[in-house]
Amino acid sequence: MPGIDVAVRQILIIILGLIAIYAALDLFWFRKKTQKSLYRSKALNVLILLSILTMIIVSARLFTLPIIIQILLLNTVDLSILILATTAVVLIFKTSVTTNFAQGMMATFGAFFAASVVMKLIAGGSTNMTLILFSGLFAGIAISFLLGLFIDVMIIRKGKNVNSVGKQMITMGLVMVIMGIIPVIFGSNPIVLPAFSVDVKIFNIGDNPMVIPVQNLYAIVITVIVLSALFIALRFTKWGLGVRATASSETVASMMGVNTHVITAMSWAIAGGLGAIAAFFYASMGTQVQVASMVPVQVNAFMAAVLGSFGSFGGSIIGAILINVFTSIAPYYNGTWQLVIVYGIILLIVLAKPLGLFGKKIAKKV
Amino acid sequence: MAKMINNLLIKVYQHILIHIEDKAKFKKDYAEVVIARRKSRTEKRVNNLKDSLNREILAKALKYGIKNDLTETFISEKIKKIEERFYWKKRALKASFSRKKEKAPDKMILEKAFNEKSLVLDNELNQEINDLRAKYANTIDNQEQYSLEVKTLEIRTTEKIKEIERKSVDNLEDYQDKVDNKLKRLEKQACFFRDKLFSLADNANIKDYGLDEGVILKLDNLTMRFGGLVAVDHLSFDVKEGEIFGLIGPNGAGKTTVFNCITKFYKPSEGKMYFRKNKIDTVFLNEYKVHQIIKQGIVRTFQNVELIWELSVIDNLLVAAHTLFKTGFFGQLLHTRKLHQEELVLRKKAENVLLKMGLFAYKDSYPLGLPYGILKKIELARTLMVEPKMIILDEPAAGLNDAETLELAKIIKMIRDEEKVTIFLVEHDMGLVMDICDTVCAISFGKKLAIGTPKEIQENKLVRDAYLGEE
Amino acid sequence: MMKLKNILANFKKQFLSISKHPYFGFIVLGLVFLFALLLRNMGLLTISVINTFTLVMIYSVVAMGFSLLLGFGGLASLGTAGLVGLGSFIMGYMHGKAGISFTATIAIAIGVALVVGLLVGFISLRIEGMYLAIITLGLGEMLRQFFISYDTFTGGFTGTSLRSFQIFGKLFESGNDNYFNTVYIIIIICFILAMVATINIIKSPTGRALLSMKNSESAAQSMGISIIKYRLLAFVLSSVFAVLGGALYILHTKFSYPPQWNLSYSLDILAAVIVGGAQSIYGIIIGVFLIFGLKVSVLNYIPFFSNNPALIVIFNGVLIVLVVMFYPGGLIRLLQTSWYKLKIKLAKLKMKWRTYRYGKDDQ
Repeated sequence: MPGIDVAVRQILIIILGLIAIYAALDLFWFRKKTQKSLYRSKALNVLILLSILTMIIVSARLFTLPIIIQILLLNTVDLSILILATTAVVLIFKTSVTTNFAQGMMATFGAFFAASVVMKLIAGGSTNMTLILFSGLFAGIAISFLLGLFIDVMIIRKGKNVNSVGKQMITMGLVMVIMGIIPVIFGSNPIVLPAFSVDVKIFNIGDNPMVIPVQNLYAIVITVIVLSALFIALRFTKWGLGVRATASSETVASMMGVNTHVITAMSWAIAGGLGAIAAFFYASMGTQVQVASMVPVQVNAFMAAVLGSFGSFGGSIIGAILINVFTSIAPYYNGTWQLVIVYGIILLIVLAKPLGLFGKKIAKKV
Repeated sequence: MAKMINNLLIKVYQHILIHIEDKAKFKKDYAEVVIARRKSRTEKRVNNLKDSLNREILAKALKYGIKNDLTETFISEKIKKIEERFYWKKRALKASFSRKKEKAPDKMILEKAFNEKSLVLDNELNQEINDLRAKYANTIDNQEQYSLEVKTLEIRTTEKIKEIERKSVDNLEDYQDKVDNKLKRLEKQACFFRDKLFSLADNANIKDYGLDEGVILKLDNLTMRFGGLVAVDHLSFDVKEGEIFGLIGPNGAGKTTVFNCITKFYKPSEGKMYFRKNKIDTVFLNEYKVHQIIKQGIVRTFQNVELIWELSVIDNLLVAAHTLFKTGFFGQLLHTRKLHQEELVLRKKAENVLLKMGLFAYKDSYPLGLPYGILKKIELARTLMVEPKMIILDEPAAGLNDAETLELAKIIKMIRDEEKVTIFLVEHDMGLVMDICDTVCAISFGKKLAIGTPKEIQENKLVRDAYLGEE
Repeated sequence: MMKLKNILANFKKQFLSISKHPYFGFIVLGLVFLFALLLRNMGLLTISVINTFTLVMIYSVVAMGFSLLLGFGGLASLGTAGLVGLGSFIMGYMHGKAGISFTATIAIAIGVALVVGLLVGFISLRIEGMYLAIITLGLGEMLRQFFISYDTFTGGFTGTSLRSFQIFGKLFESGNDNYFNTVYIIIIICFILAMVATINIIKSPTGRALLSMKNSESAAQSMGISIIKYRLLAFVLSSVFAVLGGALYILHTKFSYPPQWNLSYSLDILAAVIVGGAQSIYGIIIGVFLIFGLKVSVLNYIPFFSNNPALIVIFNGVLIVLVVMFYPGGLIRLLQTSWYKLKIKLAKLKMKWRTYRYGKDDQ
């Protein structure tokens, strides 16, 4: 594509300039301040944000801003899927202190179940597609909910002094178990879910026509509703308080009367449900979904959590947005190396901020 | 310019000198271990020869029908074996009969059968003993032949033993000579460099950093800030060599921060720290990193026992001696002879340290599950492995009861007296502090309140108000 | 008569003392594998069994490097697949296509492993724990993408194949009987060397320093262990093992296909090390056999499994879950405790028999 070299050069120059400004600030101003690390952390965040904006703006000059917005609008389903997956991962991390490698599989299980329900309903003769699809969606959420519950209560809880590393290993084993069980229960055919709607909505920004498939609107709306409900629950209900207490320290929370078993079980269940929604939309994107298709999504969900910080929901959502932006634009730079570009940028950001953009370091007393 | 070269040369010579002295010490230690092993090996061989001699004399005595102590013991042992065999046969008989008794109620017949069988066994036993005695009865009584042969045997064996011992002594002497030669050569080299150092030292400004005579650690306006909080505020004091120095203060006064700074776990915001490494060398601690502190001669213990749970106790001590291992990575990869030698020497050293601390019984067990007092002792033993100049103890009496604290006081004093180390102590237990410390420094909110002997501190008004309370 | 007894007794004593030496077991294992080769040449052993052994040996080398990182250094890395693939492509391209000599290829491979290991090591100084695991996952994926895209080096989606190799001046072409035998012997030698190297490192000050770093960084630093140095060392060692494993892989299978070096493979190596026992060499071999060798050799023959290949995956997963839940020390710890309990049971049985035969002790 013409002009890419120039664009890359411009990006590099601007980023180097930003780094120089940061270095100057650090040497002459931050050193004098007492709360060095706080200033540095915030400045780094600003630096990273400006770098990303630079990349987008420079890309905008390449492919023009409306095209970028159009690309982003088309990828909002991916964004919703990623946000749901990341929130689920962070939720389990906060309450069980483990990275749930089986997240994608729990979600896929729900999707397969939803697909079979949808097929049965269609074969049964109903014609109201929206109703069928919503029933399928709820069925999928329910089954993944139960699966998450089962995993926590029956498997993770029953292990002998399993510490966090052990729990991660168990989830890795569960990936294989679920991956094998799905073909046994649902057959080995890949699934395809029909979309809620194949219409597109056209609206105008300025003189430019923007196209957004209605399916994407469904995805956005459902995601917003679900996440808002989750955050309201976390902030204002007793359960939410329990989650935050358990996240800070499980032993102390249980000594204070919080039923940590119920809290962790519910978190796993909710994470399963969130994953099921994500997988449902993934399956309705048009291509067939095999058992292992959700793995790249899950890897990106982890990346988003790493980027934003595992301890913060807001951070991981921002991380998901960033990754979505990168993965949407990168193919236009270089199709074959897009993964390397995206992961490379993530690596650089994490090197600059090792605990994630919004992570906090807890110092240990020696 | 000449001064710079001078200083550089001094540094170089010091390094070489240390290297030579380490090498000499290692050779000496290793030689000790080798000599001990060889001596025990010769002893074993000599004992083996003596045993085989006795066996041959016995055979000869039996052959010639001589009655003496050896043959009598031999025969009686054989008889004992026979009796033992029959003892077990009798017991088996008894057991089988008691089983039969439970099943069949006919007691009289059973008892008769039992007595019959027992009698048979007894007869067999006597028969065998008689046969045995008959076998070794005095048939040929050839005292002279016997004495002759025995004498030849004895002479031969004594000659062999003498030969072995002589060889061993020669061998050990050769080895000792070799080692002594090597040590002499190393000593000559060391003297050469020492003289050079002396001559240069006159012209050089030895960076003394102005430490007073007898002072081993000097803190100069040490300040540590965490964000807006000043944990240590322009703290200065001197620690004299060979004393037990105590640092006391209320919680949050900054005591742990002080020596986290000394051991470079934190980088001080301001201030300087000087440490007299040895008679001619004083170092500026600020410029060293955490893992380099131990080489300067300072070791520390931790408030929460930080042992390596996945290694045995003696391996924990060997980790403490990590800086004493000179074999490089490839030497360790290939397990060269040098590594074996070093492991041997250091393992012996670790065992000696454990013996001294009374922990030898725990040598191969894992720290997991041991009593808390023992774990603290192991941490203390760990510090002795590198023969440090100064040991910093972080609340050593935390979690110990009165009896254990008294024992701790004894151990600390013993370490100071025998190993000639300076001890820097941070502690809450006033009894321990007043008991063993030579100098006490009290701090509060990072600032020094007072410094002096324990008695002076106890009577100091500021300290009483801030910390000790009215007596 | 006495002399013969003495000679036998001496021999037994010497044998017992030699058999305690750790290298002894390794050489015996190597000889067993060599014997298997002989059996195969005589036609008594099927080729799939020999293939299983070879695969187990190759992957054990990779897993041993990984265990130095995880079991002794306490560092997680999910990018192993990328490194093994890298090794295979270096061997395939440099020796196979570009004609660089065997020893030079090995040297280049070790050099590349050094560089990559140092890189990841420096990254690990900045990023900790679980974040590091995920970042290495990303690095592994980047490598996989690199393999797929960089056609000339790896052959892209068609993979790269190795048709012959030349060592000490002798040429071995695939298809000849010589080829398989020679490769197998090379693999046995590398396997034994890897085991010897690993046990040497474990039982040396380096191994103890790694364990200290894993257990308590502050204690390690206060004892003179530089965290930077040993982190870098751990990563470099594991990279070298992985790359050499990859080179052996392509020598054996003669084909390497970029998409096969994916996250699933890294997770399999992790599972093998955890299931077998992260700090024991025999445990690693058992773990590798269970995860990689079982499906190829045994299960394919049991109709229950060969009809539903998905069941093999479930089996592996269930194995991992059960071992982690109930036997945290790995299967090797389970075997050791079972052996110990068996000995106790046997002693008790012996006591019972004695009481039966000789009655109770009522002296």
